[in-house]
Amino acid sequence: MEVSLKTRLGPIELSHPVINASGTFDVLSADLVLEEDLFDRFPFSAYVPKTVTLKPRRGNPPPRLYETAAGLLNSIGLANAGIDAFIREDLPRLAQLPVPVIASVAGESTDEYGACAGLMEGRPEVAAVELNVSCPNLELGGRALGLDPERTHRTVALAREATSKFLIVKLTPNVTDIVEIASAAVDAGADALSLINTVHGMALDRYHLKPVLGHLSGGLSGPAIKPVALRAVFLVSRAFASLPIIGMGGVTDGQDALEFLAAGAAAVAVGTASFRDPLAAAGIANELRKLMQERGIGSVAELSGLAQR
Amino acid sequence: MDAGLIPANLYECPVVESRQVGAYRQVSFVAPEIAALAQPGQFMMVRLAGKSLDPLLPRPMGVHDVDSDLVKMIIDPVGKGSVALAGAAVGDRLSVLGPLGCGFDLEGAGPAVLVAGGMGAAPLTMLARALAARGREVACILGFKTRSQAMVSELYRDVHVEVVTEDGSAGRCGLACDLLPGLVEKRRGRELPEIFACGPAEMLAEVARMARKHGARAQVSVAAHMACGIGSCQGCAVSRSGGYVKACTDGPVFDAEDLQWR
Repeated sequence: MEVSLKTRLGPIELSHPVINASGTFDVLSADLVLEEDLFDRFPFSAYVPKTVTLKPRRGNPPPRLYETAAGLLNSIGLANAGIDAFIREDLPRLAQLPVPVIASVAGESTDEYGACAGLMEGRPEVAAVELNVSCPNLELGGRALGLDPERTHRTVALAREATSKFLIVKLTPNVTDIVEIASAAVDAGADALSLINTVHGMALDRYHLKPVLGHLSGGLSGPAIKPVALRAVFLVSRAFASLPIIGMGGVTDGQDALEFLAAGAAAVAVGTASFRDPLAAAGIANELRKLMQERGIGSVAELSGLAQR
Repeated sequence: MDAGLIPANLYECPVVESRQVGAYRQVSFVAPEIAALAQPGQFMMVRLAGKSLDPLLPRPMGVHDVDSDLVKMIIDPVGKGSVALAGAAVGDRLSVLGPLGCGFDLEGAGPAVLVAGGMGAAPLTMLARALAARGREVACILGFKTRSQAMVSELYRDVHVEVVTEDGSAGRCGLACDLLPGLVEKRRGRELPEIFACGPAEMLAEVARMARKHGARAQVSVAAHMACGIGSCQGCAVSRSGGYVKACTDGPVFDAEDLQWR
């Protein structure tokens, strides 16, 4: 049977449901290193660059990475060259990609989120803005904004005022009730949600028995967190039936993508799996098509939310 | 969307030989393209091919040597990823992306002193040969903890090698850097040697300090935890004044004076 992988995030049409998670695929670097013309053959149906902040950030002291059982701990610390450099140097090149670009922004304060979102307004090369209110490595005063419903609301509302772009809010799973945080984001004007960012975690050096990461703790990603992510997508999707959700957290093969869509996502993002195999996303989309074919599911719309019904 | 989008520099490579070299494991696999292209100091991202999710990610492995169609790597089986790679048997297949990163700059002239600590000895064999082929006088100082590690020094051929061990069980007793001033200072009044180093961070810091003191150029190959090897994850940060650089795409070989040393 004919299967259509087309899906949409509000007004943004995607040729298939597999996009990348912010910070896990740098197309400008990968295009130089991988012997493949990524601007011609791009594995994702939309591109989300690494989160940028108003001012440049050095990031956290190394070590920044540690592999755990089927997972990866990171404490990169939102290292980035700042939003001005992003607009000046990266955006003109990203505009050449054959897919929509979703700019990911974060602030060191609520105001900075508004300022960053505002700087994306009126830029035709940016299809949507993703607010990263959930980075576990950017905790000013010890807390990510997205840990608190009221601060989430205030942050999203400021960004909503600053831009008419399609507004995606990326939430942290490190909360008591993710539906409550999702509700705050939606009330404040979020058009879609990304679920989930990494899960708080720590690893000890096996010999010295001290934290491995320079930042002491970090965010866990990869197959290890898939059940946590799937639950978040299921619960939020059940509470907000028509809200587009980008499901992420351990998506490694077509079956994972199938399950996230069934749980209620409209698209999925591949993160850690791209570290394992830089163009894994293309294989995941192909496997998804095959699995839908085998099950007689003709479209993403038909699949999305199947687990709820 | 394309069926099977695979970058041309990602290969599936059969293992053809695996043997113990003292404390380390030497694994050879068939990778004609990497063997043809690899420069001394470059690395590869390597994992066992297949679907197993534990270990999850490839590991950065220095190119130890190439021989016709074969690429060789030396593994120190200390963690989950390296133990899995060291266990690769003849006939097993490896997923290999490479060659990656910037290798050593070979363009200088004059004598070369190579300094290695432990596993750092692996990538320098190819460098020693390349420098000798350019007519440069090459001396190597290889430092190890023990005699079983020092057995890797047998892989160095046709160059002058001094072995040092911390426990004195092979060669001289001490650290690799103990011999460096002697090699640099005995050349007083003549052309200063260029230093090439690979090993633990403390050793590289000492090499950088000595090179600065004597006014010699030092190129160092750094090790860092890496997830992707292609500049995406920003995990392999290395300190430079004013910020960090990436070991994977900015390095792994740097001019010692460009980095910030503790």
